[in-house]
Amino acid sequence: MAKTSYKTKAKWQRVALLTPGALLYGIFNFLPLLGLLALCLVDWPGIGPMKFVGLDNFLQLFGNPFYRDQLIKAFGQNLIFFAIIIGAMLVFGTFLALLLSFRTWGRNFYRSIFFLPYPLAGAAVAFLLELIVRTKGPLNVLIVQGLHLSGKPIGFLGDPLLALPTLAAFYSWHRMSFAIILILSAIVAVRVHLIEAAMLDGANRRQTLRAVVFPVLAPAFILIVVIVMVDVFNNADYTLLLMGPEGAPARATDIMGTFLFRSAFGGAATSVNVNFGMSAAIGLVTAVAILPAAIFLALRNLRKD
Amino acid sequence: MDKLFRLKPLEQAVVQLILIVWSAIVLFPIGIAVLNSLKPNLGEVYKAPFALPSTWSFGNYSQAWFGAHFSTYFLNSAIISLSCVVIVTVCASTSAFVIVRMPFRGSGFIFGCFMLGVVIPIRLAMAPLFVIVKSLNLLDSLLGVILVQSASMMPVAVFILTAFLRAVPAELEDAAKMDGALPFEIYWRVVLPLVRPALATVALLTFVQSWNEYFLPLIFLRSEQNFPITLGMTQFRLQFDVQWHLMFAGILIMLIPTIVAFLLASRQFIEGLTQGGLKE
Repeated sequence: MAKTSYKTKAKWQRVALLTPGALLYGIFNFLPLLGLLALCLVDWPGIGPMKFVGLDNFLQLFGNPFYRDQLIKAFGQNLIFFAIIIGAMLVFGTFLALLLSFRTWGRNFYRSIFFLPYPLAGAAVAFLLELIVRTKGPLNVLIVQGLHLSGKPIGFLGDPLLALPTLAAFYSWHRMSFAIILILSAIVAVRVHLIEAAMLDGANRRQTLRAVVFPVLAPAFILIVVIVMVDVFNNADYTLLLMGPEGAPARATDIMGTFLFRSAFGGAATSVNVNFGMSAAIGLVTAVAILPAAIFLALRNLRKD
Repeated sequence: MDKLFRLKPLEQAVVQLILIVWSAIVLFPIGIAVLNSLKPNLGEVYKAPFALPSTWSFGNYSQAWFGAHFSTYFLNSAIISLSCVVIVTVCASTSAFVIVRMPFRGSGFIFGCFMLGVVIPIRLAMAPLFVIVKSLNLLDSLLGVILVQSASMMPVAVFILTAFLRAVPAELEDAAKMDGALPFEIYWRVVLPLVRPALATVALLTFVQSWNEYFLPLIFLRSEQNFPITLGMTQFRLQFDVQWHLMFAGILIMLIPTIVAFLLASRQFIEGLTQGGLKE
């Protein structure tokens, strides 16, 4: 008797423990993810009746020049944006992490300084760095008056060619410490076991780095690439904050995040073409476009272990 | 083995130089912000952005604070972030506990559903989420944003906590079970104390992320009295854009809680992040 009542009690308590988390996640995260599949088949401005249109949103997205041109431009620019960021993070991140792994004076001090931007809010970083790179801002004062590199101030965010790389630089400045943390921990993890062996075999520093340290950095690299890729192709905080949903100047900074936002909630000038179905379709296309790469990389990581 | 990592004096100098340059790149914007937030007027910011202020005007901070409903934004952010921390740590730890320690038919499926949330960010499903929040009448309310933000952080939290729980030996729990302890008691008295470092990591990640969240409040909040500080900054920027010294002060006010939280737990946080990241 006592045993069965313990069992039923345990069962009920298990349900009680699981329910809050499952409900919270289910309603506000999992259901919307499923809804994404249904919503991309309707035309719906957010209020009023939904109109079932089948695959029309996708046909429009790939067929109608109005959407197709935006899609191609946004995706292409997103690729450039991603390439600049991931290049900067892997190259500088590895370089700085390596330097910090040496017996450098004050390396703990440098480490805490390098981590400083990480907890800052995207909004704060965007506004702060925007103030720095303005035409009348400190960076231009330095370039024009201090170093005499240029005769007139450079409009980093106003110039269609410079705006996207500038935003990528903002992102890299903000997230560099994330790369440094992961790469540094990978280097520190291999130091002890493998390097000893390599040194015993008479390898010098460069040989050891190339043969022992770099190969084990691959999992860390993959982790960084996947996380940054998922983030950069879906989020557009800096662009939305500084450039608006139209990706000014002249959509030169338009990426998938701004395109999706615009199609669901309207841009600055036109809110005529607002369609939640279209934004769901864009979201799904983005997911389908980046998921294979993410899964491929993640699987590579798993296989290594 | 330390030979590899020991540096000759010349190498040391080069390495120091590079590290100092990167420190400067990191500290320059923050330092400029601190310096200029203390300047008495806009003229000094324009004419000499690198010079020390002629008089140190700490009053800028109170002016930024009181001039633009900053206290309201700050309070909203605090309510949202702290609620998220409580909700996520409680819900994620209970869910992870059941999934790892009391598996049943279907618990694997539930875990799979959580993992889907790790791979596909909720921002992709903004439109369906908007519909759900709207139909629950939670638009433009702090409760709505709290629930949405907590749910968006659940998958990663569950992921981290299940990984940690798997690593914790089950002997203590089995002993408690032999003594007739029920799941609530085991969770509260045995498991929670064991995963405290992981919980601290999750709590800090949740705090920093929800304090910094811009996109979700932007979509689910309309009226200004509900704005968190990230949205408030946008308003603040419209109002004070010309007055840079106040802008800088406002930005720094916004940074303080995250830096404090980060410094408080940085050690544990960094260790937790690398563990969760590399041990999978």
